[in-house]
Amino acid sequence: MAVAAGADLKWLTNSSALLGRPIRNNRQGARWWGLVRLLVDDLGLSLKSAAAAASTALLELGSGAVVRAAGDPTGSATVVVDLPRYRSIFLGNLSRALVHETPRRRGRRAASRVGSIAAARRYGVDIDLVRAALARSPAERLALLEENAAFLRSMRKRPR
Amino acid sequence: MLQGLTTRKIEFVVVGGVAAAAHGSSRVTNDLDICYDAIDAANIRSLASLLATWEAYPRRVEEGLPFIMDDRTLRGAPILTLTTTEGDLDVMDQIAGVGPYSSVRKHSEKISGLGVSFRVLDLPSLIKAKRAAGRPRDFDHLPELEALLELKRRQ
Repeated sequence: MAVAAGADLKWLTNSSALLGRPIRNNRQGARWWGLVRLLVDDLGLSLKSAAAAASTALLELGSGAVVRAAGDPTGSATVVVDLPRYRSIFLGNLSRALVHETPRRRGRRAASRVGSIAAARRYGVDIDLVRAALARSPAERLALLEENAAFLRSMRKRPR
Repeated sequence: MLQGLTTRKIEFVVVGGVAAAAHGSSRVTNDLDICYDAIDAANIRSLASLLATWEAYPRRVEEGLPFIMDDRTLRGAPILTLTTTEGDLDVMDQIAGVGPYSSVRKHSEKISGLGVSFRVLDLPSLIKAKRAAGRPRDFDHLPELEALLELKRRQ
């Protein structure tokens, strides 16, 4: 959620408490919090003003336009949100959250009491294969990777 | 992809699975991960322009949504996981456990392969990055990478 919103988790939790607005773990929530974060951090708006401006701007999301999100009563100063631009940045952050942010393993890895090679062998790594790879040049290793990756791609494309 | 990046003179270091393969890992990967220089505005513009040529679009997001791929988007979302006409590509301005591009470059080495010369993250830093990422798939890769490092040191 925090990654999709482009925000720090602590900022998100604190802002949610200050605004009295619960964090909803869905796309709309992430998009709204992302714009609030942008308006607070990059433009220096107060959290309350940013929240109101984000709500106003995102009402026009379908229009694909640049919208006026906030301003002073005389219209001397306004906050304008470029929705197509913001949507592109949000999609980039959302993709990153979906692809990279899988659950993390908690705590440290147990320190191995045996050497790295013995530990790898216990883990199921074929050390002879590793030695054979080391005997090749980086160019040969990359050529082999390309060959194996092409084979996998062709297997995936093959009709069942 | 590497050919395109080097032809456009983009400042980047290969990290992730391809870097691991260059060091001797037997794992097969289909995507390319790079860390790019995000301080140099011209570099951001060149990279964004190349990504636009490759019709880059965020991965795992439903297709067809409006997405502007240019330097402004790259500045707003400096870490992107993309699908392109050339294959999957992840671009990052920093690497967990290593730091920003300047540190990544410092801990990289130049290699030649697949018809081009480019920089890859060195093995000790790759291990640090995998540890810092902390995902199960990164942890699963560590025993092989640590064995590789040990065998290289003995050589």
